[in-house]
Amino acid sequence: METLGLVVLGGIMGLVFGLALEKSRVMEPGVLVGQFQFRSFIMLKMFLTATATGLVVLAAMTGFGWVTLGPKAMAVGPVLIGGLILGAGIAIAGACPGTALAQAGAGYRDALFVIAGGVFGAMAYGYFQTDIAALLAMGDFGKITLADLLPVPFWALALGFAALLVAVLVALERWRPWYDDLGPGGTGLWDDAPGSPRVDANRGGSGRPVEA
Amino acid sequence: MPSLTERVWSPYVAGIIIGLLQIPAFLLAESALGASSSFVTAAGYLASAVDGGVAQIDYFAKYMTSQKYFWQSALVIGIAAGAYLSARASQTRRRAFSPAWTQMVGVTSTWGRAGMGFAGGFIMLMGARIAGGCTSGHGISGMAQLAVGSFLAVTAMFAGGILVASLFRRV
Repeated sequence: METLGLVVLGGIMGLVFGLALEKSRVMEPGVLVGQFQFRSFIMLKMFLTATATGLVVLAAMTGFGWVTLGPKAMAVGPVLIGGLILGAGIAIAGACPGTALAQAGAGYRDALFVIAGGVFGAMAYGYFQTDIAALLAMGDFGKITLADLLPVPFWALALGFAALLVAVLVALERWRPWYDDLGPGGTGLWDDAPGSPRVDANRGGSGRPVEA
Repeated sequence: MPSLTERVWSPYVAGIIIGLLQIPAFLLAESALGASSSFVTAAGYLASAVDGGVAQIDYFAKYMTSQKYFWQSALVIGIAAGAYLSARASQTRRRAFSPAWTQMVGVTSTWGRAGMGFAGGFIMLMGARIAGGCTSGHGISGMAQLAVGSFLAVTAMFAGGILVASLFRRV
């Protein structure tokens, strides 16, 4: 595809992505940090659903030979240390790299500072990349997937893992329905200011009104 | 079918929609969904305004020349536009920063929260670039490819997040 086509495609896909992040409230700091505090499970539910859907989609597309996978490397040092730092940053920022943009679009002005911090963080890494990579270089096993380690084809493993995730999601939803995790006001906005509506989380939608 | 004027959709609907985005990503863009690489593209172009040598640094050069990262940059800008349209369509208004912050860490001024957000963003992207991906690239896309490194990345991300969030007040 030509560059212009890819940019248009990316823009349209981003619109859909941003819509899903705002509607599901996964981009809300109260929801995102709430997952890390185990008082809201909306983020985990969305994350595992997206993963399960992706597994089914990729099982089909690789099975038919339409696409090839592009997994990231299993490099223990950078992935472990980087992952820990990333998680800490997500809690302080109240956003992931993608959801920071959704927050800015949805009207949170502090998200502009999260994005600016992110750009400077990426810049700092870029300037010191060779040093940091050399410091953390350990345990690089290459771009391996579970299908490389087990004597089962990717499509079968992916469908099996997707089924397992669906079972986990069904159990999670039975344990605590998602609309109970929307926080004060039941809107997912954590906005319990006097006069804010407590009952119209969804106006005639799929959600359940929250008792005042 | 959920409508645009609804304020909240279930996380399952959102998850399925995001998972289905892997179809155009793999088929047309020949890439998995991701977000953090585009910050390097932005950083590279920003740095090149004051430092003419940036394009000679291999790491920046890669993210400033490959088509894949223009696609991803358009994607993250689209995320902001999509969230804006979604909030508008459902008449959802937000304050300067989420009230959850006042409850969780006691910050009351927008500038205080802005400083915290900047620091968080810096740490977040530093970590994402060290790990080679974020919650999208390692998380949603990496786990969907059963990548072993991505399972480790997600575990480490949750560990880091849970540790820091345990210092905040529960609301």
